[in-house]
Amino acid sequence: MVRKGSPARVSFSVGKVSYLLEKGDMSPVEALEILRQQEEQMAFRGEEEKARLLLEQSLQELDALVGLEPVKKLVRELQAFVQVQQLRRREGLLTEPLVLHMVFMGNPGTGKTTVARILGKIFREMGVLRKGHLVEVERADLVGEYIGHTAQKTREQVKKALGGILFIDEAYSLARGGEKDFGKESIDCLVKAMEDHKDNLILILAGYQREMAHFLRTNPGLRSRFPIHITFPDYTLEELLEIADLMLQQRDYQMDREAREELIKILRRYSGVDVENPGNARLVRNIIERAIRRQAVRLVGEEKLERKDLMTITLADIRDGEEG
Amino acid sequence: MIGRANVGKTLFVINFAEYLGLDEIELVIRFPNGFSTAKRYAIDHARRELTGLGPHKTRCLQSVQLDIPHGKGRKRVQITDTAGLIDTIHQDVEVRRAIAQTLNALRQVDLLLHIIDPTGVAREGARAALGEVDYQVAQFAQLRGRYCILANKMDLPGAREGLQRLIRELPGLYIIPISALYKRGFKEVKAFVCRHS
Repeated sequence: MVRKGSPARVSFSVGKVSYLLEKGDMSPVEALEILRQQEEQMAFRGEEEKARLLLEQSLQELDALVGLEPVKKLVRELQAFVQVQQLRRREGLLTEPLVLHMVFMGNPGTGKTTVARILGKIFREMGVLRKGHLVEVERADLVGEYIGHTAQKTREQVKKALGGILFIDEAYSLARGGEKDFGKESIDCLVKAMEDHKDNLILILAGYQREMAHFLRTNPGLRSRFPIHITFPDYTLEELLEIADLMLQQRDYQMDREAREELIKILRRYSGVDVENPGNARLVRNIIERAIRRQAVRLVGEEKLERKDLMTITLADIRDGEEG
Repeated sequence: MIGRANVGKTLFVINFAEYLGLDEIELVIRFPNGFSTAKRYAIDHARRELTGLGPHKTRCLQSVQLDIPHGKGRKRVQITDTAGLIDTIHQDVEVRRAIAQTLNALRQVDLLLHIIDPTGVAREGARAALGEVDYQVAQFAQLRGRYCILANKMDLPGAREGLQRLIRELPGLYIIPISALYKRGFKEVKAFVCRHS
């Protein structure tokens, strides 16, 4: 239990306050008091310090993600680059233009959207973006059905994303259908928007590695405009297990030994290199969420239930969880 | 939107959308586990489905995009309904998680509308009815600026007296009396939102 008046708690990160609230170790009143005290501190320290603290919180959020080490390293590099460029500008030195449009390559469920969302926050705290929000779109949101419709739809999404990040999922699909397809018009419109709003918009193109590589090869104009390429590797078996444990822990559940072994078996099936859909965090989430529902069905008719029963996911829950 | 449980936050959001001319809303629902979804509701359906007499009906962040007519143009705002706050630790982990999500979002908003039920203030006195959580929200929000209190349920008996007590208890704060149910006071809320967005 976190006691009121404890001096250390003012330095708690947003994540820690949330964790304690969720665990029931902190009341909303105490959490609000911490937020207020932090706000007071920030007001006292000034805008710059406020941005630094918020930036630190966003970076902590990134660090809390399981795995993704190369991604985290690259984000730190980017953060350092942006900061140094800002310092150089302040000193009147020559600066590199801040072109932060990116390509995210990786299988579904490898953390692309999550990282994009955190990047938005990081760039906002660093003053690169005004709002730092994420607008997630796909082909259907950008490409229209008749002449002129595509430009209008694309412009609408760009407008929504101004001050933040426009995240285009499965971006390679914009190039499908050949020359006559309206996807091309959308790409042209996006390129124009990148020029028009270069100080106020970051574009992220995301999708499967192979398709994205082909997409960029066939659109050389685009390739040069997206200097940052990040590859999201599939999670390893150990990382997927860590994610599963984390998800269960956050929900006050735990697996017994047999359930854990079964989960390892399932994940092993999905995590080979020759598998069509390699293992990913979304698969783990689905298995865990189904297992939780199966556990509920298993327990609902029982008369004598102990705390441990309510917390434990068994072999049957996991097995059914996969099939369900 | 922030406030204690059962003060009428969700009803306000739905009826405010209707007041601005919408007959259906697209609700972007963000769950505490980080996942989000969008759902389209006819206004009547939204009122039936999303509001209720009991507390803690809303257990995640629910946002609606609104175009507010302003001068010759329109201002686009996103209004987010949140889980109701309480002073103590709730026994249901889902409610605790939703409250954590609400407080997490608090730092990121541009404008804070804090709903308070003044009928409770009339009945029990400001200190007892508001509880610590409302005072903390008010103190936090004052540091950030762009904040106002919506005294809801002004259609109920005792609300006027409660409002007077509220004004005395929270001096210097901008308080707009409203009735989310009958859409009263919405013009002032609209003006406030336009001024500060």
